[in-house]
Amino acid sequence: MIPRRTELPLGGEATRRVIPLIVGAMVYLAALALAGTFALERTVQDWSEGLRGALTVQLPGVAQAPEGAEAKARVDTAIALLRETDGVLSAVALPYAEAQALLEPWLGADDLPANLPIPIIIDVSVDTAARIDFEQMSQRLENAVPGSRISDNGIFLRRLVNLARAVQLVGAVVVLIVGIAAVSIVVFATRAGLTSHRDTIELLHLIGARDSYIARRFVMHALGYGLLGGVLGLVLATATLAALALAARGIDATFLPRLSLGLNAWITLLCIPLVSALIAMVTARTTVLRALRRLP
Amino acid sequence: MVRFENVAKRYGHGPEVLRDLTFRLTPGSFHFLTGPSGAGKTTLLRLMYLAQRPTRGEIEMFGQDIGTTRRDDLPPLRRRIGVVFQDFRLLDHLSALENVALPLRIAGARREQIESHVSELLAWVGLAGQINARPSTLSDGEKQRVAIARAVIGRPNLLLADEPTGNIDLAQGLRILHLFEELNKIGTTVVIATHDRSLIATFGRPELRLANGELTLHQPPPPTQAADDVTLDSDAEHPA
Repeated sequence: MIPRRTELPLGGEATRRVIPLIVGAMVYLAALALAGTFALERTVQDWSEGLRGALTVQLPGVAQAPEGAEAKARVDTAIALLRETDGVLSAVALPYAEAQALLEPWLGADDLPANLPIPIIIDVSVDTAARIDFEQMSQRLENAVPGSRISDNGIFLRRLVNLARAVQLVGAVVVLIVGIAAVSIVVFATRAGLTSHRDTIELLHLIGARDSYIARRFVMHALGYGLLGGVLGLVLATATLAALALAARGIDATFLPRLSLGLNAWITLLCIPLVSALIAMVTARTTVLRALRRLP
Repeated sequence: MVRFENVAKRYGHGPEVLRDLTFRLTPGSFHFLTGPSGAGKTTLLRLMYLAQRPTRGEIEMFGQDIGTTRRDDLPPLRRRIGVVFQDFRLLDHLSALENVALPLRIAGARREQIESHVSELLAWVGLAGQINARPSTLSDGEKQRVAIARAVIGRPNLLLADEPTGNIDLAQGLRILHLFEELNKIGTTVVIATHDRSLIATFGRPELRLANGELTLHQPPPPTQAADDVTLDSDAEHPA
């Protein structure tokens, strides 16, 4: 029986141990960057869902009689004006007790001065599809209740989303850089293989091997270390994500990004070893075919 | 079979190693290629086994003009040429069997076909007991026979050997030359580059002599049938 030994023994010490480790490190970094990007995407969506279509109107409070007739008149005027504005779905004033509770963390429950004019807050929900002229609304409110102010949550949201998108862009750039580094490593490993097996390759060429026949040996080798490195990197990245998720458990911070990933994100991460193997194969094949073109 | 027309070869900016070579080899011919060291024997063989392209001139192999043949169409032509290299060029990590099987594997032959052919051929060259041996454990004569088996396993139309007896004793050299004669009898065109005058004298085959980059044909003392096998257009001393 003729054993199925390859003509090109490419699995030298360097490629057998070092290259899978390097590819593994690349995949690890890429997987973490991707996971961060995916986690941020979910958070951005959460922020958007939570804040979109909501705004807050602040009216000047009435010292000494926060729930008196004057305060009630201001609220009624503002709510009436808001409700007759196209696109406003609802407008509800925050009860004085709740507004007071909001200040408790800073001023304490008992030491709140009686003459402190706590602003009256009205929660307004608007139709996101409607085109509301907030400038005009603000002006009308100011005329009706002097000193009133609109806090558009959209501005805050847009800043947050822009920041999140910038972080996601950085993640994508990291993945791109890691990809370029991985391609460079494969090119280096393939060229090293071509150099160290130059005589064998020339022999195969002279006895009638097509370029694709020789390239296939390199491609299969690249498939091996691409997959091995990919799986290694993904396992390490998964362990890291699990450890981070564990560490983040119990932290109650609404605006911190959640570290949980959706199904699509996990499927994408699981594809990384296949992608790394594919990149390694395509790069190795291209490198070998380009080098063999120099032979007659 | 082989046609060279005003072929010249130069390496880099150096002088021409071969100059205006014009000759034809007919199918089934047998020639020795001789000349002093550095005369260009190996270069001529390399041009014939398509390891190099000429600097100028025209080479036709098996009816195809090599200058106009697409690179992708050269591998099938190379498979019709068996080469015995001076330094054997066996792959040390493979057994004798695997080394000999290489051309068949490359040609995409089936596994069973490879096994029967290779075992048979190794027995023919007297290495039936060494089929699993690595080249590093074989003597030079045995390596040479493995190299010959690899060169002929694909039943080439043209067999080229570069100093095939250079590293072995006379008895083994004679044995190898007899193997080449056997192949020649079944139609393979043979060209053997050698310095060994005694072998040339023993076998009495026509001699292509290279000197100063030019080729001349020398017939052996007793005329043989093989004398008609070659046409050397530029040979004034020995016109065809």
